[in-house]
Amino acid sequence: MTEDPSPPPEEFANRLRDLRKQVDGDNDKGAAEKPGAAAPGSAMGLAFRVGIELATGLVVGGGLGWLLDRWWHTSPAMLILFFFLGAAAGMVNVFRTAREINRRD
Amino acid sequence: MEHHNPLEQFAIQRIVPLHIGGIDVSITNSTVFMVLAIALITLFLTLSMRSGSLVPARWQSMAELSYEFIGNMIRENVGNEGRRYFPFIFSLFMFVLFCNLLGLIPYSFTVTSHIIVTFALAAVVFIGVTIIGFIRNGAGFLRLFVPSGVPVFLLPLIIVIEFLSYLTRPISLSVRLFANMMAGHTVLAVFGSFVVALGILAGWMPLAFIVAMIGLELIIAILQAYVFAILTCIYLNDAFHVHH
Repeated sequence: MTEDPSPPPEEFANRLRDLRKQVDGDNDKGAAEKPGAAAPGSAMGLAFRVGIELATGLVVGGGLGWLLDRWWHTSPAMLILFFFLGAAAGMVNVFRTAREINRRD
Repeated sequence: MEHHNPLEQFAIQRIVPLHIGGIDVSITNSTVFMVLAIALITLFLTLSMRSGSLVPARWQSMAELSYEFIGNMIRENVGNEGRRYFPFIFSLFMFVLFCNLLGLIPYSFTVTSHIIVTFALAAVVFIGVTIIGFIRNGAGFLRLFVPSGVPVFLLPLIIVIEFLSYLTRPISLSVRLFANMMAGHTVLAVFGSFVVALGILAGWMPLAFIVAMIGLELIIAILQAYVFAILTCIYLNDAFHVHH
């Protein structure tokens, strides 16, 4: 059990240093590539995400307005009002999404 | 010639018809793939962590990577209080990820291409976050709808808009996942029928497109699971830190 199969400590330290250097080099390269190297899916994904935010605002606003109209028999006043409020909410969501993405980059 | 409907792949088929108390609880292809996803996640995590060595091998490294990925996501977006909800967010992420990836296998079924599935997941998140928010902040959670620094005469308008914006969360969360999965799979099916229609002469062009598209779909499958998990974290953060 006195036999030590692991490489001598100095050799291990050398290998570790080399690997660290390699990993750091990779990291630097990754950071440099980052702004231009948008993944093919990400730009489309971003457009999709923002589009869906905007559309769901309209759907939720319109839906809520329609429901209120049914309860209060005010058709179509609430539908029209909440359609625009929903559009505003959608824009707020788009703005927040954009801010979130900017923060992350 | 058999019909090639690109939407056929989304059809729910009853495998074991079951009716309990007038409610249809049949085991469908959707059920099978949900169970399959859960079984594969369990197998993946238990088998890869069985050795539990200090220096991880490939499989263990993958399991640890997914654990740390979600762990860091929660730490960065929610903070330390969010660690209690790690099991939920990790399960959610793995379930969506495995359902998305399983759906990419030809002749399989994509559970997440049905809006009712994604909406159920999103509704759990939405209702859960709302309850946690009210438990932790009491009525103070309502301050979420009142941004600071808004003139008083604008307040009624802003509160309604903020409330609507809050209500859009489960819808946009579910529609995003569902639309991404359904759109991708429909495009693949449409181009698949082009390959058959154009035959040997020109069929390789849509085939090449499908190959590229599968790569993109793989990215989208992982990206959408990530987006679902990170948005859950962001919503959970609102329940802990009510500020605007």
